[in-house]
Amino acid sequence: MLPILSTRPWLRWSAFAAVAAAFLAGGLYFGSGMQGNRDGEARGRDAAALFGVALPDTSGREQPLSQWKGKVLVVNFWATWCTPCRDEMPEFVKAQTELGGRGLQFVGIAIDQADKVQAFATELGLNYPALIGGFGAVELSKTMGNRLGALPFTIIVDRSGHIAHTQLGPLRADQLRSIVGQLL
Amino acid sequence: MDSHPFSAGSPARPRRADLAGRGRAVCFAALAALLGASAPAAAQGQPKLLEPERAFAFSAQALDEKTIEARFAIADGYYLYRDKLKFSVEPPALATAGALPPGKVKDDEFFGRVETYRGRLAVRLSLDKIDPGRKVTVRAVSQGCADAGVCYPPQVQSITLALPAPGAAPGVPVEASPARKSWFN
Repeated sequence: MLPILSTRPWLRWSAFAAVAAAFLAGGLYFGSGMQGNRDGEARGRDAAALFGVALPDTSGREQPLSQWKGKVLVVNFWATWCTPCRDEMPEFVKAQTELGGRGLQFVGIAIDQADKVQAFATELGLNYPALIGGFGAVELSKTMGNRLGALPFTIIVDRSGHIAHTQLGPLRADQLRSIVGQLL
Repeated sequence: MDSHPFSAGSPARPRRADLAGRGRAVCFAALAALLGASAPAAAQGQPKLLEPERAFAFSAQALDEKTIEARFAIADGYYLYRDKLKFSVEPPALATAGALPPGKVKDDEFFGRVETYRGRLAVRLSLDKIDPGRKVTVRAVSQGCADAGVCYPPQVQSITLALPAPGAAPGVPVEASPARKSWFN
């Protein structure tokens, strides 16, 4: 059986489920039979749903995303079983090293198991937080424009807490540098 | 969850020539898909992608009173991981373990040897109790990726079909209905 399908503590998702419900009520995003590409629709929106979430890191400590408010935040949904996700991460590590001092903060949300995430983080020399999400994290990414719930999915939030960019699929290094450069 | 999952059998040898040809074809298909993507998607540099249940279309057919064939039609430019693919049949007492066919081997830096499926895949599930007319549910758990550079979380698809009487014609193929576009889909 897939370990990822194991029961998760769903309670911690109640916060953003409430925010998501608010989006539904407001008819901001979800239509019935949603089709076509709407991946760009999250742009410019308030990232409140993100900042309302707290997820455990690989050591099990809850990390509220709100602690990074005010920084240029790059939230990357990924998994160890997702090769394109792993392929783009060395570039994130590099950017974190070079631009962290100017207020850039990467946060990875892994749709994965903590032990696998830790093993990969060690192997890669990950220098930014790796939080563990279950399918609830996929749902969160869907409310942020990840129509297909696929990975990697990256959200770039500006210092004022607004979504500057969402990306389904790998983010090219030049693209990342260009977007982030304008926000720092 | 008392169903009987079918685990992968022994690993296969890679078919290099086939791999190379297929790889090129897939690259062209992916490129064509990218070029043909809708303008907004292309403008954002984001690949146009199929929903997982269309990229990995699951169907099943009762071949006779004790055999079900489970099938995946995998769209061009997409692949499924063999070790993430599990079939089960409910009620649980019906199925005996079967083996998945060998996949194409690729070396993964983190996981080592992994096998993938492209194109069409058919797996025969043998039932150990003959119970004609009975409805059974075939469940597939699968996980795959697109060459365009994304992976889909594991998805579960189910098909319910009736077993034919001994000697009767095979049942009709049944396709998994696309998942509902609901909130928690």
